[in-house]
Amino acid sequence: MADTNSVTYNAAMGQALVSAMRKDDSIFVLGQGVATGGWFGAEKGLADEFGTDRVIDSNISEAFEAGLAAGAAIAGMKPVINMGFGDFALIAGDEIFHKLAKWRYMHGLNVPMSAVVIFPIGTMNGAGPEHSSCTEVLGMHFPGLKVVVPSTAADAKGLMCAALREPNPVLFHSVNTLSFQRGDVPADDDYFVPIGKGCVRRAGTSATVLTYGSMVSPSLQAAEQLALEGIDLEVIDLRSLVPIDWPLVLESVRRTNRAMVVHEAMKTAGPGAEIAAHIQEQAFFDLESPVLRVAGKDVPLPQHGYLESLCIPSTAEIVAAARQLCLG
Amino acid sequence: MNDKDVSRSTPGAEAVALMYRRMAITRAIEICMAKHVRNNRFSGWWHPGEGQEAAGIGATAAMQQDDYLFYQGRGCSWAIGKGMAPAPILGDLLGKPSGATGGKGGGVPHWSDYSIGVMGEGATLGSVYPLAAGAALAARLRGTGQVALANFGDGTAARGTFHETMVHAAAWKLPLIYFCENNEWLVGTPLKQVSPTENIADYAAGYHIPGVIVDGQDALAVYQVTTEAIARARAGEGPTLIEAKVFRKHGHYAGDPQHYRASNYLDTYRDPLDLLGTHLGDDQAADLREQATADVQSAYEAALAEADPEPDTIFKDLYYG
Ligand SMILES: Cc1ncc(C[n+]2csc(CCOP(=O)(O)OP(=O)(O)O)c2C)c(N)n1
Ligand SMILES: [Mg+2]
Repeated sequence: MADTNSVTYNAAMGQALVSAMRKDDSIFVLGQGVATGGWFGAEKGLADEFGTDRVIDSNISEAFEAGLAAGAAIAGMKPVINMGFGDFALIAGDEIFHKLAKWRYMHGLNVPMSAVVIFPIGTMNGAGPEHSSCTEVLGMHFPGLKVVVPSTAADAKGLMCAALREPNPVLFHSVNTLSFQRGDVPADDDYFVPIGKGCVRRAGTSATVLTYGSMVSPSLQAAEQLALEGIDLEVIDLRSLVPIDWPLVLESVRRTNRAMVVHEAMKTAGPGAEIAAHIQEQAFFDLESPVLRVAGKDVPLPQHGYLESLCIPSTAEIVAAARQLCLG
Repeated sequence: MNDKDVSRSTPGAEAVALMYRRMAITRAIEICMAKHVRNNRFSGWWHPGEGQEAAGIGATAAMQQDDYLFYQGRGCSWAIGKGMAPAPILGDLLGKPSGATGGKGGGVPHWSDYSIGVMGEGATLGSVYPLAAGAALAARLRGTGQVALANFGDGTAARGTFHETMVHAAAWKLPLIYFCENNEWLVGTPLKQVSPTENIADYAAGYHIPGVIVDGQDALAVYQVTTEAIARARAGEGPTLIEAKVFRKHGHYAGDPQHYRASNYLDTYRDPLDLLGTHLGDDQAADLREQATADVQSAYEAALAEADPEPDTIFKDLYYG
């Protein structure tokens, strides 16, 4: 295995930014607090190395930030903007879902348009209903964007490297609960995880768990528990939601004949709804059992840390759902 | 009005003739489209800009070819003024593959040509303020000396993006021009009913930037103030807010019965093409108009004769690569 270092998830994103900015003058970073290292540390040290011309603090102005990214991108730059919270996608809805997603299409332009929009998503112990949302499904509903959600520090670096080379706008969702988790991260400056490729985190034969982001780790824990009962789960980390790695998903489901989707995002019209529907369209006659969803409750997330914890899937819920899936 | 250190500029005879030619093309497209929309099925809406052409023509004449233009979609004076030909505009309005968007249609215009700095339109009004700032920041970072201009209507000055963007552009002295065409209407609502100020230029004071009011029916006056604003921007002195007082001669969209307007509202109308024409010889003006009408007619006929776009057009340009 190549050289690795123990690095936190957010610092790994930072490593990708540093190596890309050294090579590519067209990359600049903008957002609230980025010049002082970023609210969650992903931009730590960037301003020291690249100066505040390229690492730019903005005022409280999410629509401006995202719109500026779209304008800079069509003028040939590669903006990276940190939106602070996934929830704020809605403040900048026009800029992200109309301008970044549609500008090239509606103008009939076959040109590159690179922009990386970082959305820290998910619960973080009591951040409340407007600072904890998993908004990644929005990017799935507006064609023209790519959508990624890394679940490990290595992927945080690899997917950021990929996003910085991507000629299309990328919504890069960093998971709040993983921000300061360490992992083995390849030292290679160009460590690259292709957008649109999932990976098998645990091979198994009884059922396929399709998950990403914050729910990869609880899904793996559930799989270890169930292994003691003779249930052998395959856990797939999708990593990208646009595009989804359908060949990987369908190959696995056709082999295990059972599937469930696990995510922190709300259940109704969440990513799992699309994934379950797609599986039944493509592999209905390979299924032994209905596709299940274990997902966030359909409520605004409470400010209270304990109540909040009741709203997102626990390992026990994943275990119970997998038993139902496999044992009927 | 800030005119203390920038010398007054008037375009030479050749430049005036080019402005006139482009305004005449715009006018011919207006006449052509008015007839087309009346007699044909038309996708989307046509927002007539006849009579309001001097602002776009005058301002774009002050821009360099590589300066970035983001326009709002009334008429076509901005795109024509920046140098687009009638064919991609009419092709687009008729929904043909030769159109600027390759057949996606232009009822609400999305004409662009990056080779001459026509960056396009955001049909969610007010969305181009931050985009223009992004282009201006790109120019600043690359050190190219380009400026970006965001054109918008009086109603669109109320958008939050107006403020969010100018807060930053003024703080950072970005090479950005805000260019408002104040025709005193947003659809059927008079501006005075929904605005604390009659002059959009008044907002400039809050950002500590110059706010300039100009007669928007007079292309040469518009040229002059825009030239000054651009010189300021290129010199690193930051943004200017220009407000051109213009006249909406027609309804909001082609076919708007305008029940909300006084019956004699046209009494105060001054035709910008005639005004600019006074700076040309009579023969020259007539020749240029004739030529423009003929060019537009042949572009229109070519577009009419063209086949509709292929069905797979709906999947084009969604992702690059
Ligand atoms: C964000 C947004 N809100 C509303 C509309 C609908 N709309 C289209 S044109 C228009 C009037 C715009 O007024 P103004 O900016 O003064 O430009 P004018 O039409 O007078 O040229 C409106 C409300 C829109 N396209 N986008
Ligand atoms: Mg108006």
